[in-house]
Amino acid sequence: MSYQRTTQFSSRRAGTWNRNQNTVAFASNVKLGPVTHTVLVALMITVLGLIYLTQATRATGYDYEAQKIDSKIADLTTKKTDLEVENARLTALDTVQNSSVAREMTKPAQTDYVNE
Amino acid sequence: MQLDLKIGSRPRTLAILTLVIMAIFVVRLFYLQIVQHDYYVTQANKEQLKQLIIPAKRGEIYAMDAGSPVKLVLNETVYTAFADPKVVEKPQEMIDLIHKVAGGNARQNLDALLLKKESRYQILATKVTRTQAELMKKSHLKGLGFQQETQRVYPEGQLAAQTLGFVDGEGKGRYGIEQELNKRLTGSDGLLQSVTDVSNVPLTIGNNNINKTAKNGDNVVLTVDRNIQAYSERALAEGLKRSKASDGSVMVMDPQSGKVLAMANLPTYNPAEYNKVQNAAAFNNGTVSAPYEPGSDVKTLTMATGLDKGVVEPNSTYKNTDSIKVEDRTITNATKGQTGTITFQHALNYSLNTGFVTVAQRLGDGNNITRGARDTMYDYFHNKFGLGQLTGIEVAGEVPGTVIPPTDIDGGAVRYSNMAFGQGLDVTMVQVCAAFGTIVNGGTYYTPTVLAGTMSDDGESFVSAVAKPAKQNVIAPTASSKVRAMIHEARTAFYAAQDRKGYYVGGKTGTSQTIENGKYVDNQTVGTYLGFGGDSEATPRYVIMVQVSGKGMNLAGNTDALPIFTDISNWMLDYLKLQPKG
Repeated sequence: MSYQRTTQFSSRRAGTWNRNQNTVAFASNVKLGPVTHTVLVALMITVLGLIYLTQATRATGYDYEAQKIDSKIADLTTKKTDLEVENARLTALDTVQNSSVAREMTKPAQTDYVNE
Repeated sequence: MQLDLKIGSRPRTLAILTLVIMAIFVVRLFYLQIVQHDYYVTQANKEQLKQLIIPAKRGEIYAMDAGSPVKLVLNETVYTAFADPKVVEKPQEMIDLIHKVAGGNARQNLDALLLKKESRYQILATKVTRTQAELMKKSHLKGLGFQQETQRVYPEGQLAAQTLGFVDGEGKGRYGIEQELNKRLTGSDGLLQSVTDVSNVPLTIGNNNINKTAKNGDNVVLTVDRNIQAYSERALAEGLKRSKASDGSVMVMDPQSGKVLAMANLPTYNPAEYNKVQNAAAFNNGTVSAPYEPGSDVKTLTMATGLDKGVVEPNSTYKNTDSIKVEDRTITNATKGQTGTITFQHALNYSLNTGFVTVAQRLGDGNNITRGARDTMYDYFHNKFGLGQLTGIEVAGEVPGTVIPPTDIDGGAVRYSNMAFGQGLDVTMVQVCAAFGTIVNGGTYYTPTVLAGTMSDDGESFVSAVAKPAKQNVIAPTASSKVRAMIHEARTAFYAAQDRKGYYVGGKTGTSQTIENGKYVDNQTVGTYLGFGGDSEATPRYVIMVQVSGKGMNLAGNTDALPIFTDISNWMLDYLKLQPKG
């Protein structure tokens, strides 16, 4: 790609240029036509669309993760409930009264009271 | 750019054709996307948008255990194992697995069920636990599926069955607390509306997503103490066995708060197997739903009325001739021979009907149960003591009973003379207990309750229920003190040896006639005993009422109900850790 120097010069006083500023401008030889512009715009829209789709898919991926975690929570909750039921059964009055410890217990022969 | 196509040239024709086709597309798309927009959105939502109900957890029920809440009714996840006979490939392997893992929960004739190839759903086992279901799933048998459901669990079995009630197959509470507090226990289901994939996994895409969380039902804590309840049920069962009676009820109440500590009823049932009950009467809580003529227990209320109105004193006297005339009727005593001039304390000790008809007369002009006397009795019995009206206890099936007002054509002197010794009115045990608690606690009527409060979902935080309204000074404290002493004397006069020394216990027997086909029958009586106990004269700690009955049986308060009271009362003194005085 080549560049060519501009041929028109203007006075520093007449212009708005200041000292030590570059007053040389380069113009590209490549010219983009209307078809190219249209294609480029279409490409940009496509890229933006792809970015959107990528993000949307990523969010959906999180949904599956969330679903897995929800399932795990539900499973653990069920297990916790089962343990609570088991605990309640083990501490039920009938279970306690029929336990070996309870069977070994006897009625006190005498009861004394302490006044506080 | 300017296209200059010649008229009639092929490119021009092609261009026009293209434009027409494009125009058709545009019109069609306009129709589909604009005109038919709502229709297609609805169709798309039907396919993609799913509504999932998030079921609310039914609230659990707690009882007290020496002041600490313990779980009495819980929820358990169980599974129904089913098969699709059309796709089952190894039926014998499946049958063996179901028998091996589900055991008694397996259906019979599994081979016949699996042969029904025209059916797509056959239940093979019910109430399979999670562990069992997981074991079955590991076999990866084709055509075997599981349906999750929740059921109520009762670790204490039959304990307090009529107070609790049960939950039917549709998830509705029936009888007891389950029915009365059904709405609170049920909570409200949540809703998840979302676009889902083919596996029904909810996705966050879409604009119509709804995520409304479920509100679990309240965990309610009862005032019922499981130890007192268990002991009452055992004592009642033993008492009925001794008397060969078939039916009985016990109520234990804290007279200082109206909190029900136990409600025992026999015959009973296991709420987990409610569908096996042959006689639906077993579901009823007799203490709230079976009105009866209370008999001589009510003499304590008549005496309290007389004392509060100042028309009698415990040592006031009257002349007992074993009968008394009221209008054209003659009322006699069941216990004869205590004739002469006797005190009202004596009349209470021997449960003499004449004494309490006399109290009713003294509420009037001294010789007749006048309209004024009847108004006074009605005011005390119905308005102050709450007899013949709903107490509002949180147990389904409560009935009000009947106390006929003096304004009624049947509310004459004869009716009120009968009411003075416990006949001619229908009341429930909970009404009598609440009234009795009032006359022995210093004169405050506490509305009976079984609801202590609520428990948080994590089971850590207990919130007490708002106290129900109480009526102060229903009778004067002095009148309460006097009647309490009279009831104590009525018990100790005959049964002092049965009570443990150093405690203050009182009680009154009751033997009520029963009515069949509108007439009193001679071969069937209901025995009751109503009493209180504690470690001091001033503050009774419990009120216990016992009732025993049986078809065609003559059961008496002193021989059939009193021993049950004594058994529970002596045990309560230990349970409440009360020290004897003196």
